[in-house]
Amino acid sequence: MAQIEIDGKQVTVADGSTIIEAAEAAGVYIPRFCFHKKLSIAANCRMCLVEVEKAGKPLPACATPVIEGMKIFTHSEKAVQAQKSVMEFLLINHPLDCPICDQGGECQLQDLAVGYGGVSSRYQEEKRVVFNKDFGPLIAGDMTRCIQCTRCVRFGQEIAGQMEMGMAHRGEHSEITTFVGRAVASELSGNMIDLCPVGALTSKPFRYSARTWELTRRPAVAPHDGLGSNVALQVKQNRVYRVLPRDNDAVNECWLSDRDRFSYEGLYSEDRLNKPMIKEGGQWRECEWKDALEYAANSLNLIRQEVGAEQLGALASPSSTVEELYLLKKLMTGLGSGNVDHRLRHSDFSADAYRQGAPWLGRSVASLQELDRVLLIGSSLRSEQPLLAQRLRQAVKRGAHLNVVHVADDALLCRVAHKLIVAPDALAQALAQVVKALGERAAVDAEVQPLLAGIEVSETARSIAASLTTGENRSVLLGNVAQHHPRYALLHRLAQEAARLSGAAFGVLGEAANSVGAYLAGALPAPGGLNAGQMLATPRKAYILLGVELERDSYNGQQAMAAMQGAFVVALTAYKHRAHEFADVLLPIAAFAENAGTYVNTEGVAQSFRAAVAPRGEARPAWKVLRVLGNLFELDGFSQDNAEALTSEALGNTPLADKLGNALRPGMNLVLDKPDGGRLQRIGEVGIYQTDSLVRRAASLQKMSAAPRAWMHNSLLAQLGLSEDETVTVRQGDAAIQLSAACDDTLPAGCVRVAAGHEQTALLGGLFDEIRVEKSKGQQQTAEHTPS
Amino acid sequence: MIKRFKDIFVSLLLIELLKGMAITGRHMFSRKITVQFPEERTPMSPRFRGLHALRRYPNGEERCIACKLCEAVCPAMAITIESEQRDDGTRRTTRYDIDLTKCIFCGFCEESCPVDSIVETRIFDYHGEKRGDLYYTKDRLLAVGDREEAQIAMDREADAKYR
Amino acid sequence: MNMSEKVILHSLHLDRPWSLETYRSTGGYDTLRKVVTEKMPAEDIIAQVKVSALRGRGGAGFPTGLKWSFMPRSFPGDKYIVCNSDEGEPGTFKDRDILLYNPHQLIEGMAIAAYVLGAKVGYNYIHGEIWDAYERFEQALDEARAAGFLGKNICGGDFEFDLHAHHGYGAYICGEETALLESLEGKKGQPRFKPPFPASFGLYGRPTTINNTETYACIPYIVKHGGQKFLELGKPNNGGTKIFSVSGHVNKPGNYEVPMGIPFAELLELAGGVRDGHKLKAVIPGGSSSPVLPADVMMDTTMDFDAIAKAGSMFGSGAVIVMDETVCMVRALERLSYFYFEESCGQCTPCREGTGWLYRVVHRIEHGQGRPEDLALLDDISGNIMGRTICALGDAAAMPVKGFLKHFRGEFEYHIEHGKCSV
Repeated sequence: MAQIEIDGKQVTVADGSTIIEAAEAAGVYIPRFCFHKKLSIAANCRMCLVEVEKAGKPLPACATPVIEGMKIFTHSEKAVQAQKSVMEFLLINHPLDCPICDQGGECQLQDLAVGYGGVSSRYQEEKRVVFNKDFGPLIAGDMTRCIQCTRCVRFGQEIAGQMEMGMAHRGEHSEITTFVGRAVASELSGNMIDLCPVGALTSKPFRYSARTWELTRRPAVAPHDGLGSNVALQVKQNRVYRVLPRDNDAVNECWLSDRDRFSYEGLYSEDRLNKPMIKEGGQWRECEWKDALEYAANSLNLIRQEVGAEQLGALASPSSTVEELYLLKKLMTGLGSGNVDHRLRHSDFSADAYRQGAPWLGRSVASLQELDRVLLIGSSLRSEQPLLAQRLRQAVKRGAHLNVVHVADDALLCRVAHKLIVAPDALAQALAQVVKALGERAAVDAEVQPLLAGIEVSETARSIAASLTTGENRSVLLGNVAQHHPRYALLHRLAQEAARLSGAAFGVLGEAANSVGAYLAGALPAPGGLNAGQMLATPRKAYILLGVELERDSYNGQQAMAAMQGAFVVALTAYKHRAHEFADVLLPIAAFAENAGTYVNTEGVAQSFRAAVAPRGEARPAWKVLRVLGNLFELDGFSQDNAEALTSEALGNTPLADKLGNALRPGMNLVLDKPDGGRLQRIGEVGIYQTDSLVRRAASLQKMSAAPRAWMHNSLLAQLGLSEDETVTVRQGDAAIQLSAACDDTLPAGCVRVAAGHEQTALLGGLFDEIRVEKSKGQQQTAEHTPS
Repeated sequence: MIKRFKDIFVSLLLIELLKGMAITGRHMFSRKITVQFPEERTPMSPRFRGLHALRRYPNGEERCIACKLCEAVCPAMAITIESEQRDDGTRRTTRYDIDLTKCIFCGFCEESCPVDSIVETRIFDYHGEKRGDLYYTKDRLLAVGDREEAQIAMDREADAKYR
Repeated sequence: MNMSEKVILHSLHLDRPWSLETYRSTGGYDTLRKVVTEKMPAEDIIAQVKVSALRGRGGAGFPTGLKWSFMPRSFPGDKYIVCNSDEGEPGTFKDRDILLYNPHQLIEGMAIAAYVLGAKVGYNYIHGEIWDAYERFEQALDEARAAGFLGKNICGGDFEFDLHAHHGYGAYICGEETALLESLEGKKGQPRFKPPFPASFGLYGRPTTINNTETYACIPYIVKHGGQKFLELGKPNNGGTKIFSVSGHVNKPGNYEVPMGIPFAELLELAGGVRDGHKLKAVIPGGSSSPVLPADVMMDTTMDFDAIAKAGSMFGSGAVIVMDETVCMVRALERLSYFYFEESCGQCTPCREGTGWLYRVVHRIEHGQGRPEDLALLDDISGNIMGRTICALGDAAAMPVKGFLKHFRGEFEYHIEHGKCSV
């Protein structure tokens, strides 16, 4: 600790802290532009110059470490003169276009210019003009306003993991730009908008639509990934205009992924369902809520009486709130059916009977940064949980080893120590290799041991095992691809064993905003009830769909759609989507920002939020709809009049931590079969901007999302006699779609990567099932239409 | 006693009346200051704060850039603006309304405008016959501006050196 | 003062002075052999360098012995030494002559430095616009490697050192030591914020010592003859000889290696005096970034760090720019400020914005559009740049302005008033 004096105040601060940190501790504000607490120090704006006793010249407070006995003057004549001179330099070439600048009102340069700027400029010469570049659909650049603080550059290098922005040229000609002609593509790019202290980088979807002083901040929790990023919704006249991060070091720090930031556009999609609708005689008609609800309740009741309650099924989105999922489960229980599930994208449910708790991250989100060794299994982490990938990146930068077992070699934008990239059907084998290699150091559990016979341990698996046994903080993490995998239970058991053998924490990365919450709220099949897979494989007579866009949210969209044919379907949905084709009653529900509720994030922390705006049209929060349905069925316990009452009822009073647990009870029937080399397999992971209904309708994000293609290894292309960019027919089950073929040599052999969740690929079959690719007939015509 | 006699004396001689007649007589022959509105009008300052107008540039482009400063500064919250990016990439209003029943004619909007777009004209004798007639929309404000541009420009010119 | 004793440019009269053969014939590499085979203690060599009062020849004049003692020699892992031959300062052209005519002495000096500082790898960063010097140095490196003066087991001992040449692309800023390191690492040449200094966080984040070409080239002499002898060549606190690059309005411009502390008048005479029929007006004594001094001040001063500082300028790299009475000082400053405007790296605000402003104002004055308040403005801008930037380029841009205004204000005022030149 060092004792220093700031503006006459005695302060004790930690050794090695900088003057700006010390001043903050003393409650003294020092003006700054380039300094940011989460970025490295650049000391290039020079705004934070302060006077230090015995130093000949003013020193930058952001970069000068304190020394015992230092006397600092932040507002002395000398310091203020230095700060004012820097401000003058900053302003001489800064355009005076505040009235049309979106940053106006929240601009650091504007704010500080009030305190440090002159009344008029002494600069009589021509001002600098920098031509704007196209940074893509999310970021608008007005680069003449740039003050070269390089926050965006450092963000790219240090946080996003890819240097998309850089400073080209030098001196007065220097300008911030992307690599010639490229747009910004990072999944965290929106943070640069927040970081930019001036109006050089602003939000394109928000452009010119509102002023910061008109907007009200309403806290909320982001609805897209398991992290549950804390966001502030900026609202004006009952409309969400912008989403910004709320600082929370335990969750999202000060960052936000683009998906969380720009998905609000989806709220105002044309596809929103605004009024309840009933299908009568094949014709849709809008109706009153009362009619729709009564029609739904009566029809369901009739079916229940005719064919039995087990012919009813309920499928919910894991992005629904705890309260909604709880009420849905309660409703189904009341109706006498145990068929409830939220895991639509799962294909293997055999671990269900052996669970001891809700699968979760296994450690706190913040502690991911302190990891020394990580084994990441079956996860396209950057698209699944962009900010968790960022946390791991920080860990790797600190020296952590990141080991990967996955089906595709996607760049994690940090150093990967060892990786095993195998076809989906060999994923379990690969993981078994790691377990066996770990078994060379400690005894493998008797249950797993038999699986390892005949497994040949590769050098890489051995290196992964060696890596996992060193270091202090270790984690084995199971990603979405592993969870959707047809052998999920086996992968889970093997990963659990790998974690046990290496002394690592075992974590399952939450799939959606409320995956953990869905387990806790009980949105799972009751004993004897059917899970999502069974409900769709053996069609029911009636379904209740809660926030589900079935064809794009299921493991096998084709099968799901088939199951809907002929069934009576009540869809509680915010969007019309294809429910039009198969549903019988459409009940408009509130979407994100319009709904109160609770999400439990992947680390098991419950975060409640309130509605920020009123639902669009006649939509109502789903929990209210479910409650009324409960009343119509004359069931008990559907009289809650606010979301809070429901929350405590749903989550109970015991600490949530007690209900979390990844370990499976012993006794599972485990078989590790050899990969079947003969057939082509699909790698069908969900695209980053296709995860849920809201983000799929966010126009700007959709522009960032590449159209799905049939990616395959060069050799496979050759083997099938195809060439790159050629239009091919991709078949799964009965569906055939036309995609363009693409070459990716990092993919394992025998695999075709066709992203899921897209409209084009919605009706294909299982995400990791067999797939066929062939030359398109009528190729000639399509080729002619391809622009050269 | 003396005061009493004096009062009687004054009343009998109608002195008060004559004094009044004298004033009347004086004014009868002096120059009249009554203005016969609306045939006649008093002179006005170029700074007069009457009915609002939105101006255009000589090439016909509307001046307003939707900075919303007038909306922010308006103490009566009489101004409502909505904005968006126009197809040519510029920042423009899609709505610019002034509720003249709220307006207190303080002139802050005019003062805050960085492009001299919203101005207050010399017009003060406007009226409305229906509810809503005094709710001026962008089109109406622009129409006032188009009609009065010559006068507005002259007034700005006259006041320029004091701003 | 012994005018004939040369430390560096001593072999110019010989045939092919740059060849290893010629260098060996003058006793070259003997010192390195002695150091390595006798395992001379590093502390002793540093002590000798300290005694010699050798000061950095690149411009700042930091005592070399002191700099070397900052290097954490026992620090485990890689350490580097780097030679700064990125000679970009207008007026300076001495390093290229060392590279062209005596490259082996530099190699020997760097090898000794590497021995002392515990480095196994060294780099010589050569200015991108002196290609022949770069090629000559590469040749010398090949020769030295072939002869066993570089590489593993140097001179049969267990000392290992390899040296690589690297050429820049002509950016002035890369002559700043940390910008040079950045450029050497393959990044954009931009100075780093200090602290940390290169001695603790240098090339690739490892401890690094950076010295000027001429500084390294002095080392063999100091080790061979002892620090005292080197010191006695010059004057106290300013040891040795110095190569002065004399340019401008003299009869015989060129490089002159003379003892430190030589009177300026004598140096001017060596360079053939001011060109015929003209008289001395002003001198920039240490490269373009040092403040200009008028003739009378210069004629009374000696050429060493302390005397020039006393006279109100900087010794710098020893680049003496001589100007006679035909020079318009406004135009001279315009030219100089344009150089700094173009060479600013653009990283920090005062220099990025200020250098352009300075240039534009001076440009305006030169072109007859000066305003009365411009001189105060120039004073103010240059004052606002000085000491407020990450590296010294800001100071380098501001100091000439201050110097010209201080000594030749009248000329500027004339320009502003009459819109034309008084010369």
